[in-house]
Amino acid sequence: MTMNKPSGDTSHLYDGKTVRSAAPSRKKLAGQAGGGTEIPKDAIPKVEIPSFVESLLGGPLVTKMKFLAPDRMVQNLQLAVYGVLVALSLMTYMVSPPEGTIWYMVTGNLAIAFIMQLLIISVAAGTGFWGTFQRDGRFTLVSNLLFILAILRFAASKVSLASDPFGLQDSATMLNILVVVYAVLLVMYFELANGVIRYSMLDTSIRTNEVYVMNPKKIVSKYHRSLIINPIVAGILAIIVLSANTILPLIVGIFSSDTALRMEESVELISVYGVALGTFFVFCVVGGLFALNLPNHLQKFREKRAE
Amino acid sequence: MWSRKSAMLGSLAVSMYLLGLTLRNEQLVTIAVVVFVFLTWAALFGGHADVASSGRRSEEWSGEEGLALSSVSAMRKLSSARLFEDGELDVTLRMQNESPLPKILEVKDRVPEVMRIKEGSNYILMELGPRRETFIEYTLECPLRGFYSIGPVAVRIQDPFGLFHKEKEMHVYDDFLVFPKMEDLKETFVKSRVPKIFTGAVNIRQPGPGSEFYSLREYFDGDSFRSINWSAYARSGKLMVNERERDAVSDVIIIVDSRAVAETGPVSRNALVYSTRAAASLAKFFLGRRDSVGVVVYGDEVVSVDRDTGKKQLYVILTKLAGAVARGNIPLQVVVNRILPHINKGSPIIFLSNLEDDPTIINALRDFRARNFDVTVLSPSSLEFEFDAKRIDRTGYEVMKTERDVLIGELRGLGVNIMDWEPDMLLSTALAGARGF
Repeated sequence: MTMNKPSGDTSHLYDGKTVRSAAPSRKKLAGQAGGGTEIPKDAIPKVEIPSFVESLLGGPLVTKMKFLAPDRMVQNLQLAVYGVLVALSLMTYMVSPPEGTIWYMVTGNLAIAFIMQLLIISVAAGTGFWGTFQRDGRFTLVSNLLFILAILRFAASKVSLASDPFGLQDSATMLNILVVVYAVLLVMYFELANGVIRYSMLDTSIRTNEVYVMNPKKIVSKYHRSLIINPIVAGILAIIVLSANTILPLIVGIFSSDTALRMEESVELISVYGVALGTFFVFCVVGGLFALNLPNHLQKFREKRAE
Repeated sequence: MWSRKSAMLGSLAVSMYLLGLTLRNEQLVTIAVVVFVFLTWAALFGGHADVASSGRRSEEWSGEEGLALSSVSAMRKLSSARLFEDGELDVTLRMQNESPLPKILEVKDRVPEVMRIKEGSNYILMELGPRRETFIEYTLECPLRGFYSIGPVAVRIQDPFGLFHKEKEMHVYDDFLVFPKMEDLKETFVKSRVPKIFTGAVNIRQPGPGSEFYSLREYFDGDSFRSINWSAYARSGKLMVNERERDAVSDVIIIVDSRAVAETGPVSRNALVYSTRAAASLAKFFLGRRDSVGVVVYGDEVVSVDRDTGKKQLYVILTKLAGAVARGNIPLQVVVNRILPHINKGSPIIFLSNLEDDPTIINALRDFRARNFDVTVLSPSSLEFEFDAKRIDRTGYEVMKTERDVLIGELRGLGVNIMDWEPDMLLSTALAGARGF
């Protein structure tokens, strides 16, 4: 408005207005001028807090940090994820035959269920590959969910296989081991895919001087060691826990062979409910140990022993 | 403590376990069991020991519960407790592991948000051996004045998968003070009209014994022969003598506007930042001339530093300026009414303000002028700061600028030496402009 008037003449600015003895409220004027009255961006320190979902997944879904090119450690982790993905896809296909799947329940057609199951596993593997390659948590999350969806089946109290080239279905123990290996692979896939993003963040932070790492080799080697030891231990312990229906009759057999025989043959114990019951007991014991603050006592014991 | 990742895995396991029972699906139960075992193993042998304290905040922990961290201690050393804006502060953090077991620690020394890490890092991931110690060194750049505190030291131990962690805040704090930075001034053009009894180095615009030239006048009997200006004699044919300006110690009062509105603009470029820097530079200059300097900072209260001289006074003034916070909206008239009875008539008064949101400014400065005070106003323009930061549009800027110019014109009409201090202008230039040079 003032721009079109001849220079020097500013009287029109005060038409119908009393010229005050002090500057008018600039905030008010700024608001009228369309500048906005919100808090200036640079007045607020930049704090990035992960969202609830992001913190659940242990890393960002949409990374605000631009990752630098993956270093050797991240590349190795990516390769490990690819390997695990291939194995996991094959295992998922093996342990989840189309019978009993949601698609079979809905369509009643085995061929459609088979195609759907194959499609889900392929998409899960594809998104997993892409998510790991791009280091994008969104694709990894979709992949995780699809793998879980693939295993959701009704009426699978007894494990059945879609493909059994090695005749594993004949041995209950081998079948148990197969399912445990599958479960371990699934958990390792979750962890490794998450590890790719976690270590990419750490690597980027190190290279941008945001964080300094002392003895990185020791820290990385500890992670590598855990990646080998934890799944082995988890697998062995899981097999023991899942064999509760075999172990319990053995223990009972010490006192009464008849009862043990009855237990061995009881439907309740050899069914999924038996497995669940055994698992429940074991985890009640573990829960009790945690309630007694065992980890602290264990740490105390280890420190005392080291002294 | 459970991380959210472990909580999610735990929830997933429970869901799969229950779903497995509902769907009679053994694979789901098996996955649940594996996840449970994975979590249990990580919790028990993952190099930490506090899964039992889930859901509790770290500050609630007693020493007994924080066993794995009770053997870790931290100490900090700062290179200086006082520095100027844009100065650098070297911080050395000493971490000790008194335990016989090695620990992988994540250490973060919390620094004020306005500080920048120039060298090193305050966030370290390290493997600290048994009964070992390490020094973490980093350099902080301190761009803004104020009272600051470094700490606490946050220490975290977590298992390699990031499933469980234990963290503790070590309440090790170190305080330091950042003074506003100062500009070297050669001349301020601020002179007192009223002599004081002590001789000094300040010109008071009266002829008398002094060091600076004041005017020429005709020779009278008794004048020193040395004061004759021979060139003037050659030009005029009359004996002329140089008159010098009388020197005296004077009182200088610096008033700093620290109201909430003074911080309008970006954090590092606003009227308060400029005003405190100017006040510090002026105080240093006047105190260097052996003047007596007093400072009044007003915002939500009137804080004053009584007039005094010397280096100690400079330190007191700098400390007060470092602590000036933009708060409140006390009108200038209140400040003037309060200080008027306590300042010597005719003392130079330097007022540093963006002249905004205070309808009493004209009356207050009129009161000063009516009592013959030499008033200089340096007004850092918040308008320019905001316009540079693209927070106001051109039309709004033009309107407000015009109104500001009207106000400045009105103050100039009262005999106030005033300068609209633009952001890129040096203090010495602004002062010269205010004094009409």
